[in-house]
Amino acid sequence: MKLDPSFIWKAFVELLSVVPTTLLITVVSVACGLLIGTAIALIRTFRVPVLHPVAAAYVTFFRGTPMITHLLLIYFGMPLIVDGVSAFFGWPFRSSAIPMIAFALLSFSITAGAYASEVVRSGLIAVSKGQLEAAYSIGMTTPQALRRIVFPQAFAASLPNITQLFIGMLHGSTLAFAVSVVEINAKAQIVAATNWKFFDAYLAAALIFWGLTVLIERAAGLLERRIQLYNRGGVA
Amino acid sequence: MIRLQGIEKSFGRHPMLKGIDLEIGTGEVVVILGPSGSGKTTLLRCLNFLEKPNAGRIRVGDYEVDCRTAGKKEIQQLRLRTAMVFQQYNLFRHKTALENVMEGLLVVRKLPKREAREQSVQLLEKVGLGGKLDAYPSQLSGGQQQRVGIARALALNPEVILFDEPTSALDPELVGEVLSVIRKIAKEGITMIVVTHEMGFAQDVANHVVFMDEGKVVEEGHPNRLFSSPKEERTRQFLKRITPDGVYSI
Repeated sequence: MKLDPSFIWKAFVELLSVVPTTLLITVVSVACGLLIGTAIALIRTFRVPVLHPVAAAYVTFFRGTPMITHLLLIYFGMPLIVDGVSAFFGWPFRSSAIPMIAFALLSFSITAGAYASEVVRSGLIAVSKGQLEAAYSIGMTTPQALRRIVFPQAFAASLPNITQLFIGMLHGSTLAFAVSVVEINAKAQIVAATNWKFFDAYLAAALIFWGLTVLIERAAGLLERRIQLYNRGGVA
Repeated sequence: MIRLQGIEKSFGRHPMLKGIDLEIGTGEVVVILGPSGSGKTTLLRCLNFLEKPNAGRIRVGDYEVDCRTAGKKEIQQLRLRTAMVFQQYNLFRHKTALENVMEGLLVVRKLPKREAREQSVQLLEKVGLGGKLDAYPSQLSGGQQQRVGIARALALNPEVILFDEPTSALDPELVGEVLSVIRKIAKEGITMIVVTHEMGFAQDVANHVVFMDEGKVVEEGHPNRLFSSPKEERTRQFLKRITPDGVYSI
């Protein structure tokens, strides 16, 4: 077997065209995941009645099943629900009108939500109880204390884990090919299909993923240094 | 004026406070003494509902609550009238000394930023930290952190400041600077309740000493009287153990 550098370069350039798709899936699922995860983590931390066991069930189910399974469940399950509801209310809307990428976005957000809830929870645990008590002692309400005192510190504490989640979702986004979304990996397969140089095409894909991951790591490093400024002192 | 009536608190099945009655006049400096596990800190934390008492009534200034029925609003009202200085300082770690003091003024009292800043700078100067405005807690010594904590409590202009063993976590050579700040503000007539093991401080500064044991107030009175001629046997035993002339001193 011989590498074909000119084809790797050609594949590389072609793959760049779908980088936005990969980034869209990654960013949306991480952002929605963090929102869902924060809500879940708060519900579990404060043991909100009724919702608390529901949240626990959500986390154990979606962490306990593979991401691609979520995607397939959503892909085959959602149309049934959408068409059923649509028919019930007599709307003209049909599930076939839903773009494929929407299934990926929804499904991966749910996956990321389960992982993110544990990331956020670990961040909340890292903030000492005394911080909340001090906030209460000066008359803050719980929402004020959470927003101004607990969340900023919890976020700083969970940044390395959020970065990890981000990278995990970036690589996980390749699963979207299962519902015919053309992201980097699927594009590599398509590009290679014309001349059977799969290795070269996937090598180009690997380089792009690696490059994107390095960018994420760098950005996270900068953010961490900025946000952790308050921990720079020597004395405890 | 502060009045506690029949304060009860248990953790699970373990009763920690068994009906505490206490009256504290405005401007009094109260020191609560007692062996560990006697409920001193729990009592202090019940006053601002960091622990929710199971029963009793708490009155701070013109505000009175029934602990059994107190909801969010009542608790909030109580907290607006009290402030606390913690054993572990509990400064907001992600905020500078100045921001720590300003926080309550901005968020709770809703003062404009400039005014909050002015008042906070003054308070930090008062506790001798005018030069550390922009330092984060992690850059300050324990004594300095605790003095920021005192400034943060003072900022809210509360009816009473609750001190929960304010010097227990400090290196011995830093205890003095914190006590002298507390002494200074005690002289200004701010009502204070102090849980401490510093007997010297209790003798010099307090004008009301409460001795607790096993969740009850055993004896209270003026320090001169209580230290020289305690009425109760339990108080005598405790004082003997804590001031064992010539045995050891740290």
